[in-house]
Formats: sequence, structure tokens, C-alpha cells
Amino acid sequence: MTLTKQHARHATVSSAIPARAGIGLRSQHHWDALNNPVRPGWLEVHSENYFSNGGIPLRDLEAIRADYPISLHGVGMSLGSVDPLNWQHLRQLRDLIQRIEPGLVSEHLSWSAFGGRYLNDLLPLPYTDETLAHVAARISQVQDYLRRPLLIENPSSYLEYGFSSYSESEFLNELARRCGCGILLDVNNLYVSCVNHGWQALAYLNDIAADKVGEIHLAGHTVNQFGGQSILIDTHNAPVCEAVWQLYQTAIQRFGCRPTLIEWDADLPPWSVLVAEAATADCYMEQAYAQAA
Amino acid sequence: MHRLRELQRDFSSYVLQESQQVPAGVKSIGLSAEQRLAIYRNNTRLGLTAALRDSYPVVNRLVGDSFFAGLAAAYIKSYPPQSACLSAYGAHFSELISGFAAAQGLVYLADVAKLEWLWHEAYHAADAPILSAAALAQIDPAAYGRLVFRLHPSARFIASDYPIARIWASNQADDAGREYIDLRIGACRLLLYRPGRHVEIDYLDQAEYQFLQLLAVGTALSEAVETLLTDHPDANLPILLQRCLLKGLLTDFYLADA
Repeated sequence: MTLTKQHARHATVSSAIPARAGIGLRSQHHWDALNNPVRPGWLEVHSENYFSNGGIPLRDLEAIRADYPISLHGVGMSLGSVDPLNWQHLRQLRDLIQRIEPGLVSEHLSWSAFGGRYLNDLLPLPYTDETLAHVAARISQVQDYLRRPLLIENPSSYLEYGFSSYSESEFLNELARRCGCGILLDVNNLYVSCVNHGWQALAYLNDIAADKVGEIHLAGHTVNQFGGQSILIDTHNAPVCEAVWQLYQTAIQRFGCRPTLIEWDADLPPWSVLVAEAATADCYMEQAYAQAA
Repeated sequence: MHRLRELQRDFSSYVLQESQQVPAGVKSIGLSAEQRLAIYRNNTRLGLTAALRDSYPVVNRLVGDSFFAGLAAAYIKSYPPQSACLSAYGAHFSELISGFAAAQGLVYLADVAKLEWLWHEAYHAADAPILSAAALAQIDPAAYGRLVFRLHPSARFIASDYPIARIWASNQADDAGREYIDLRIGACRLLLYRPGRHVEIDYLDQAEYQFLQLLAVGTALSEAVETLLTDHPDANLPILLQRCLLKGLLTDFYLADA
């Protein structure tokens, strides 16, 4: 299979991600993405799962791309690390971008590696001037290398630092202003972090620069009892909860309709359940359009 | 970046359980800083264990979830991930198992792990066209000795003293029956490769195993044949080559300098 052929096939569907609901695609659902007549508006994959020179998963993704706009969502760039940028990782991402022609490319406001060791988690950063200068410089470097803007996602977190001097929303806005990146607002993460830290969710939503929001994520979380306290863990293994749906409605009233992703990574349900969650998001977007009209 | 560096150094040591020193500056309202860090420690352990379980489902079936979690914990300690690509994590699992005292009773376990990793590599290997007999027919027979074949990028070889392919096959998720396998059926030599959508596992005899491995490292045909016939005078070379072609194992060739 040559690259030319793949590009010819891609031409069947535009790369642009519509302001509709999409679903996070995991390898267990490759068959449905290719064959199931019930379809969401677009799909998002974790970029790192396709960092190979070939093989079955990549071949599937190329075939799926002929039918869907695709967004590449990274979980391992470690933008907040003090380690040097991992250029091998960036080369692999650039190659994947060339193959798949994604409509959006996103990453997290977090760090995951120190001293060349990767912890496979999205770890929280202190929101200080030092961190801001560091992360802004790295986002700019990455955007220059990839020749496209990134969307940066707010993380869910289980701790915060006493020496932070920005709120998370201020920090994201400032990154977007300095680097020209967009914001991927994960409403479930926002809710999880607000509950865990006693932040005001509506104030957070109101603070975010509306014109910078390029995508919204929705997912399920788990309530854990820990040391006699309850804490929300971002497990992506459940339906979107009612409180998050309500925040989502507020978000799209404020930001307008945006490409909205249903993320479900663990205890994966059938494709139809994911498509139904996406349909709910589409419904709320239609209502928001109707209200705005 | 002094403060950020110290924070990430202490945070990563804590998560990898090398230190009980909580990084400075973590707020403790409600939950203590230790309890909050423990959530991240737990997430990392569970995430990496799940990644290993995805690549080693047969090892997991053979030893059970809780023993597997112990193997994974030891692996994470000895081999923390060096990239963000989780499917690349676990390349040294069979080495860890070989040295893992509690697994010594399962003498075949390390080799089964090695087989699973080769299967995983073959699954993710690059695609390649398959060499046709017609393309070979174009070559001047006088140049046959200088032929160097390229094997499919997914081709992997493994030899074991134990019937690991039988063990592997009878522990697939969709295999309901639990077959009794007598370890005395003994050694096997295997080829794994992916000519189409599926990874295939083929049994090889001694001659085939030697010959294909010589081809895999780019040995010219004349030299490979000479070695083969010295060690296995009764080897049937035309049939061997024919089978390579039929399997779709050869993808390309070039002529070495005379």
C-alpha cells in the first residue's frame, strides 16, 4: 500500500472536525468504525497508539480515515516536563499527522516524564510564572515543528500546589494568548478538579476565553472513598454524569457549539452505547443552536 | 526552572516508590499530601500493569491476575517506561520472569512471555509487499548465488525447550477448553510473521530454522546454502525456497556484489 493511494482514499472525507459530537475510538471498536452503519460525526484516537511504521492498527486507522474526520489526541508529549522535548516522539507524531491528515491535534497541560522515565499519567503542574514561561516555550516549539496549532486540555487533578499563583483557567488563557494555541476544555476534568479542590465550576467556565475553545471533552468519572473523604477520579469508565451534562449545556451556551467528544477508555461498552452518548451531546447542541437563533 | 525540576524529581521518585519523601508545596486540605500522592502512585501502577496485561494475556492467564500484578510491580521497578508509547512497554518482561524467584516452578513461562512479545512485535511491524515467483523468474540463474532476500519486516524466530506454541494456543481468550499439555513433548522452533491481517505461527525443523535465520540477517544465498548443506546434507533446498515464497515470507531481494 503506497502513501499516494492512502491520500487518494482520504479525499473522500474532509479532515475538518464538525461542531458535532464524536467518539473516542479504541482498537476494540475498529470493526464497528469500519462496518457499523450507525455513525458519530467524527472520531478521536490517542496518537501514541499508532506510533508504528505499519501493522494492523495503523492500517485500520487509515481505512477508517476514509470515512471519518479524525482528531489526534496525545497523552505522552509531557509538555510540562523539565526533561528536553522528546524529538523521537514528535517525529512519530509528525509522521502520523502526514498519514492521517487530522482535523485537530491536541495535548494536555501536564507532565509525565522525569529523567527519561515515563509515568504514564497526566501529572499536575504548579501554575506559576516559571511553569508558564516553560510550557509556553515548549508549545511554541512543538507548533513550529508540526506547523499547526495545538489544542491544550485542562487536566483532572487530585492535588494542587500551595505556591501556584494563577488559577487553572487564567493559566490556560495566558498560554493560549502567548502561543496561539487553542483550549480543549474537558468538562468532566473541570468538574472533577473543581469538586476535588473546592473550586467554583461556573466561575472556571466563565473565566475561560470563549474564542480559544476549539473542542470539548465529556467523560465519566468514579467517586472514591479515601481516608474518610470522597474524591473524584477521572476513570473514563462510565457514562457522563448529570452534573457534567449540565455544565456542558452552560459551556455551549457560553462558547457556542464546539466539536464535542465522548471519551470512554476502560470497561468499554458496545459501540451503540458510545453513539447514544454522542447523540445526547448532539441534542444539547441542537437546543443551543435553537436558543441562539 | 529550579523549583519545577525539584518538584518533578521528588514527585517521580515518590510515584515509582523509590522515596517516601512527599514533594514540597502540595496542599493538604481534607486529604494529606501523602494520600494525594498515593492516588498518582496507584494510577501509574494500575496503568502500567494494564499495559503489560494487554501485551501478555497468555502469561496473565497462566499465572492469574494477582500473581501477574506482582510480576508487573517488579517489572515497573526494574524497567520503568522510557517512552510514552505504551505498546512499546514490556520488551524485557521475559528476562524479568527468568529471574523472578516465585515463577521458577513454571519453567516455560519466560519463553511463553518471549513468544507473546514477538507476536506483539509482528502485529505492529511495518507492512511490506510479498515477492512473487514471477519476479524471481527474471533473475539470471548464473546470479542466484548472489541473491540476498529481504524477509517480511514482521518475521521473528524463537526456539524453546518447551512446547510454547501449544501452551500459547490453548490459552487464547476464545479457546474454551483447557487442554492438558505434556511438557515432555518438548522443544519447538517457531517462525512468527504477518503476511496478511493475522500473525501466523509456523513450526520449523532444524534446517529451516537455521536457513531462515541466515536469510533474515542478510546472508547471500550461496553462503546460506553452503552452511545449510554442511549442517544438514539431506535438506531439500528447492522445497525450502518454494515454501518461503508460498508463505509470503520474502518481500524483496537484491544481488550482492560478486
